[in-house]
This record gives sequence, C-alpha cells and structure tokens, in this order.
Amino acid sequence: MKRLTPNIVFAIMILAGALAFKYAQRIGLIGPDPDGRAVQVIIGLTLVFFANAIPKKLGRWRNAEAAKRAQSASRVAGWSFTLSGLAYSGLWAFAPLPVADTVSTAAVASAVVVTFVYTVWCCTGRTGGETAPISADNP
Amino acid sequence: MNLVFKALADPTRRRVLELLRKRPMTAGELSDHFPVSKPTMSAHFAVLREADLVDVQKSGKTLIYRLKLTVLEEALLGFAGTFGMLAGTGGKPSTLKRGTTS
Repeated sequence: MKRLTPNIVFAIMILAGALAFKYAQRIGLIGPDPDGRAVQVIIGLTLVFFANAIPKKLGRWRNAEAAKRAQSASRVAGWSFTLSGLAYSGLWAFAPLPVADTVSTAAVASAVVVTFVYTVWCCTGRTGGETAPISADNP
Repeated sequence: MNLVFKALADPTRRRVLELLRKRPMTAGELSDHFPVSKPTMSAHFAVLREADLVDVQKSGKTLIYRLKLTVLEEALLGFAGTFGMLAGTGGKPSTLKRGTTS
C-alpha cells in the first residue's frame, strides 16, 4: 500500500486537473482547445515525469555484471523517454499541427526502439570492459 | 531537493557519482580514487545516501554502492560539474570530516 500511495495520489491529481480544466472552460476562463494541443502537452509532460524516475527504480541484483547492465539499460531508458517526452510536449506546444502529429509520434517511437535495442544489446552481448569483480577480497 | 544540491555541491561527491556511472563499486574501490582518509569518505557516502543519490547493498563484509539518480539529478550533476569547474573547484578534494554533513 505504501508503494501504491504516490501513484494513487498522482491519479487523483490527473482526474482533479481534468475536472478543473473542464470547469474553467465552462465558466469561460480558458477558451476551447479544438486541436487538443493542451492535452497532448500534458501527455508529454506525464511521460517526462515517469521517465525521469526510471533510473531510480532499482531492484536487488545477483552479481556485479548484472548490476552494471541493469544500471546502463535503465539510464538509457530514462534519458531517451525523458527527451522524447520533452520533444513531444514541445512539438505539440509550438509546431504546426501536421508536423507535431507526425514528429512527436516518431520521437516517442524512437525512444521505444532505442531502449529496446540497447536493453537487448546490454543483456546479451557485452561483457568485460570496465567491469571488475566485486567480492569480499576486493573491498 | 535541498539535500541533493548539498550533495552535489562537493567535487569529491560529484566524482564519486561519476565513477559510479561506469559501474557499481565497493566502498574500498571508490576510496582508492581519492587522497582522503576512509572516515572522510564514509562521511561523503553518508551524505550521498541521505540525499538518496546512491544505493548501498551489503555483500558479506563488503558495502557495494551503485548510482541512484533520476534523469533530472543526473542533469544537475552535469551542470554542477560544469559550474564547479568554471568556479575553479572542479578538482579540489574536500576536507569533510566524519560526522559532518557540509
């Protein structure tokens, strides 16, 4: 339950934000958003929010090599999704609609591909290099 | 966030984080990179742990550190390194004593 609480709070914030947005439109505080730009910007920022935390989520590891690979993969995933989320939001905020529609999707798709390819490469091929055995003999 | 800024303000702690970017390391391996005493290094590790920037796992008698940075914190580390170098403090080892957290 303790781990779920922040996510439940975040979900409530999203729902409250949507209701506030709708209410503000109804009373005329903000104009209509026929192109859905605002929603897309919020989606991009949500991606940034979650991607930012990816490298911080660490599980327990079995050995030094596994820990090194997991760390590399999660850093690449975090950076690629964060940058793609920023690009997504920026494009929907400022670019012409056809450009935003196509390029923002391509940005997120690129992040998915980069993360997938790097993770597979990380988990299958690479060994050695900077990795030194971690043991009680090497404190 | 204040703890993060405090942790990143010190060049020795920034160097520790840069070393951990390559791979997880034991406390001894990390200490070997710095001309300071082990108690001083322990104090630096404590500051990093307090700021939740590193994760420590015990393996037998050995403490193994690994990076625990969000993307934003890693970007801040980069900025801090750049501005630290510009301010002329980039390579200076700190003189933090055990038990202090500044």
